[in-house]
Amino acid sequence: MPLVKVNGIAVEVPPGTNMIEAAKKVGVEIPHYCYHPHLSVAGNCRMCLVDVEAGGRGPDIACNMAATEGLAIRTDTPKVTQMRKSVMEFLLVNHPLDCPICDQSGECRLQDYYMEYGQHDSRLADAKMGKGKRQDIGDQIVLDAERCVQCSRCVRFSDEVTGTGELRLFNRSNQTQIGIFPGVRLSHQYQGNLADICPVGALTLKDFRFKKRVWWLKESESVCGGCATGCNILVHHQENEVYRFTPRRNDEVNKSWICDQGRLSYKDVTSLKRLTGAKVDGQRAELPEAANAAALLLKGAKVGVVFGAKATTEANWAAVKLVRARLPNARAYVIEGNDPDAFTYQDEILVDSDKTPNRFGAALTASQLGSVGDAEALKAALASGEVDALLVLHDDVVGRLGVATPKALVYVGTFKNATSSAAAVVLPAAHYIEQPGTWINRQGRVQRLRKTVAPAGDSVADYAAVDAIGRAFGGAVIPEMPAAIFQELAAGVKALNGLTLKGLGHGGQLITLFAPSPGVDQPGQAAPAK
Amino acid sequence: MDVYPRILSRIWGVPGSHTLAVAEQHGAYNAARKALAMSPAEVTDVVLKSGLRGRGGAGFPTGRKWTFVPPPEKRGGKPVYLLCNADESEPGTFKDRFCMWNDPHQLIEGMIIASHALGVRRAYIYLRGEFEYVQRRLDEALAEAYAKGYLGENIFGSGFSFDLYTHLGAGAYICGEETALISSIEGYKGQPRLKPPFPAVKGVWESPTIVNNVETLAAVPWIIENGWEAYKAIGTEQSPGTKLFSCSGHIMKPGVYEIPLGTPMMDLLNKWCGGLRPGRTLKAIIPGGSSVPVMTPAEVAQANMDYESINKVAGSYLGSGGFIVMDDSTDMVDALTNLLRFYAHESCGQCTPCREGSAWMYNILCRLRDGLATEDDLVALRDLADNIHSRTICFFGASAAMPVQSFVTKFRDEFVARVESARAGLPAGLAVAK
Amino acid sequence: MSHDQKSIHLRDMHGLTVRGPVEWTEEEKAEIAAIVAKYPTQRSAIMPVLWKAQRKWGWLQFEVLKLVAATLSLKPSEVMEVATFYTMFKKEPTGKYLIQACHTLSCALLGADRVIRHIETKLQLDEHGNSPDGKFTLMRVECLAACGSGPMMQINDDFYELLTEQKVDEILDAMAADRPLPVPRPEVDQWTYTPVS
Repeated sequence: MPLVKVNGIAVEVPPGTNMIEAAKKVGVEIPHYCYHPHLSVAGNCRMCLVDVEAGGRGPDIACNMAATEGLAIRTDTPKVTQMRKSVMEFLLVNHPLDCPICDQSGECRLQDYYMEYGQHDSRLADAKMGKGKRQDIGDQIVLDAERCVQCSRCVRFSDEVTGTGELRLFNRSNQTQIGIFPGVRLSHQYQGNLADICPVGALTLKDFRFKKRVWWLKESESVCGGCATGCNILVHHQENEVYRFTPRRNDEVNKSWICDQGRLSYKDVTSLKRLTGAKVDGQRAELPEAANAAALLLKGAKVGVVFGAKATTEANWAAVKLVRARLPNARAYVIEGNDPDAFTYQDEILVDSDKTPNRFGAALTASQLGSVGDAEALKAALASGEVDALLVLHDDVVGRLGVATPKALVYVGTFKNATSSAAAVVLPAAHYIEQPGTWINRQGRVQRLRKTVAPAGDSVADYAAVDAIGRAFGGAVIPEMPAAIFQELAAGVKALNGLTLKGLGHGGQLITLFAPSPGVDQPGQAAPAK
Repeated sequence: MDVYPRILSRIWGVPGSHTLAVAEQHGAYNAARKALAMSPAEVTDVVLKSGLRGRGGAGFPTGRKWTFVPPPEKRGGKPVYLLCNADESEPGTFKDRFCMWNDPHQLIEGMIIASHALGVRRAYIYLRGEFEYVQRRLDEALAEAYAKGYLGENIFGSGFSFDLYTHLGAGAYICGEETALISSIEGYKGQPRLKPPFPAVKGVWESPTIVNNVETLAAVPWIIENGWEAYKAIGTEQSPGTKLFSCSGHIMKPGVYEIPLGTPMMDLLNKWCGGLRPGRTLKAIIPGGSSVPVMTPAEVAQANMDYESINKVAGSYLGSGGFIVMDDSTDMVDALTNLLRFYAHESCGQCTPCREGSAWMYNILCRLRDGLATEDDLVALRDLADNIHSRTICFFGASAAMPVQSFVTKFRDEFVARVESARAGLPAGLAVAK
Repeated sequence: MSHDQKSIHLRDMHGLTVRGPVEWTEEEKAEIAAIVAKYPTQRSAIMPVLWKAQRKWGWLQFEVLKLVAATLSLKPSEVMEVATFYTMFKKEPTGKYLIQACHTLSCALLGADRVIRHIETKLQLDEHGNSPDGKFTLMRVECLAACGSGPMMQINDDFYELLTEQKVDEILDAMAADRPLPVPRPEVDQWTYTPVS
């Protein structure tokens, strides 16, 4: 691997790595606008100009410099300082002073780089170029052509990621203007990403417009629960209120992108359909009381446990432990398909047709109990009376199967649905951003959820809700701390052996889903080849 | 005047010189016959040894450029393309237009020979949009050549097959930059591309590409026919051969002149261009098209018309040979403002310094010209030019910066006088009484 | 080369918005197919096809851009991007006679500004450069590679060089009366050389 130098610090990088990434590896930040790790190189902003000490001719742009043996660049010379300052001056010449009304304020590269590399006094004595402001170009995006710095990231995104090519830079010289063909609107599912990649406030998200200044927001990591892809996200919140999701970079899962449906799903956290309190026979109850009622219903009955493809792996594991401890002869089921009201869109970019985030987690844990039945099996068992009590984790069984369910129905879930309405006992589970846990996505990647805001109302982590039933029976079935639960889980499920919660890191860890030998770890259904 | 062969302007002035019949009477396509009997490597070698340099502006040795095309096994199965740059838009330059108008068959012949050397099957002549009538004449010449079998399949029975097309631009100076030309003919905006990759390796349609100027290709037939030694014997050691100079401005006989490189600049001015208008003195000369630094009379007196001398004497360039003469009636501030309007209009808009800077410099110059600028503006002007030069994707940035840098340095008095008249509240251009 | 009167009459696009459906005739489709065949990719034909469209419809309205896009399997935004980049593709209608007068340095040194002002006054042009009867449109343009014969102007496809106010009057009067024009480009054979060896 070639050895390159950045400011005298040597680092080995894979051949062809561009120097912005190489510099990052040794902690040197090279400012840039047009470069994006997941888009082609444009090289037009000229902000990443660096001095070349050896192995090439400089100054030259770092984003188009491929690492070759002996290449040495410098970013700490007076020349580089001056070049950056001049590029900042050129960028700000025609830029409108919109900061007070611009959403990008606080996460704007013009602001940030000006403070760090610019700090020039304006010597502009001519009028600024005016261009079209406040243009509605799509359901999610507002365009302000005046603020645009013509970095062409949005153009390249529209060409390379969505293939729709609506956004283009028209005209030339300083008349160059970002725009869209008259009458055409953005109609793809990835509009929100345009607001993310735009380094300034030219493309902004309608949903977030004027809502909150970003410097008030805390960012916490989580994973989107909209489908089996499991895009990594950042939850932006202030004082327990969530203001937006943005994609978190994970080169193996979602690169830097997320679909609009997933991005806007933060609204579900405060949905009116949230189950915020436990219920017994339709009446509001305290959690321990409801847990008792649940235990009474399940004790001695012919129990069917519907493992949740939307529940955390920990909750599913708690169900396994509960069955082993208190519900011998209980049968395991994993119901295929999506809830009736699920979003039907799917594509080859990110959006999976499977709208559950943890199908493999459900399958792997369910198979701990032996054979796992599917929808048909459950219907048959209910019809024949082989199962007369159900413990359902998250899935809308009633909605999916459309069958009459037994009176003894215990539902652990986050949202009201047909099943929660039919349930004798409802235990409210927190939204997935309100609790720790793990999910296994369609690739077999185990990814961490974190508690970013406090659970709404009386809801608790879904594994805690299942554990409450265990306590009602006489004792906890899983440890209290998430790390300990995961440790137990990893030890018990062969495919997860050796993993630790900490070891999952920020990007998750891939596991082998299919054990070579039949027996213990048989997934409940064939996994799609992804 | 010395006597030397007319290489490019061979049959200019002969009635019907653009027709195949007349051109052939004067030896057209003899060189092509000779070249097609040689091997491609031999042809390239002759051009290389002749020392022919690119006549579009950069002056890069043509033969050497041709050797940058990878050997067949390293081309990834891609064909090689030859693009003739007929986008002549550099202010002060109009030689290619005459080349194509007066002797289109010479260019066609040059492209046949070059394509044989490079292994090209299909080549294109990219003309600027305003040259539509020139394109019509070229198309007629192509039709004549095809009809006689000089283009198409198995030319002269040599086994070499070759197709040549014309392609019309639509009004963009920047398309004269080779990667922008490539981008334009591919059907995109004519915006220059990052190098690497270099066109000779990966150019138009992802294939190895050579872009040569009209004058460069038109010189090839003579070199093949008369040999590289004969070409090298003309001109200077490092700048061999002849060049077409487009002479304009305050001279008695504007026009296109073919002279050997190395001719003293004063000779070009006085002997060929007929000198200045009566009663006038020389103020400035731009030797190679508006993009190169301007020269003072003292520098003009010392310089010869070749690549090295102009650079050594004046820090300027031979460029495209657009020779613009300005006498003492010229206001240098007006002249520079005029030039910067051109650059502000023609910037492709891709990269930050050029896009914002060209227009900004023009705005400052407008205020300067109108007597509304201050000393700070003059400092800023110089600063901006320095900040654009060499910071951009292509040479356009330098092309916009060099006039500003050279005019403001070499004719500083006039710019300062404008500022002082502004300060004194006088109408622009009136000298401040000292 | 003889002066092509026909090309100017075909350019009578005064006041034209799209007349009738925006589509190609069968003959035009065949011509386009021949153009596309010259290049290895379909996209490369975008400039010749835009020129063809401009000749037919006078200027490139959005409907015309959409047609060009459909013809070459491109998106309308891609075609619009190319059309707006190049100055010769017209985004608004112009008069029957489009006068493009050079005002770059070499022509300016020889008095082009004066000649252009003369044209503007004579034709009573408005701020868009259009004459009141819509017959003439004047555009000031950059260097047209006729520096040795300036001041000069391009009217539709033809160059008229070595202009004086008198010559301008001659030409414009002939155009206003739809009379045959003075032969353009007699100066095009302007070149000089030194005696041959």
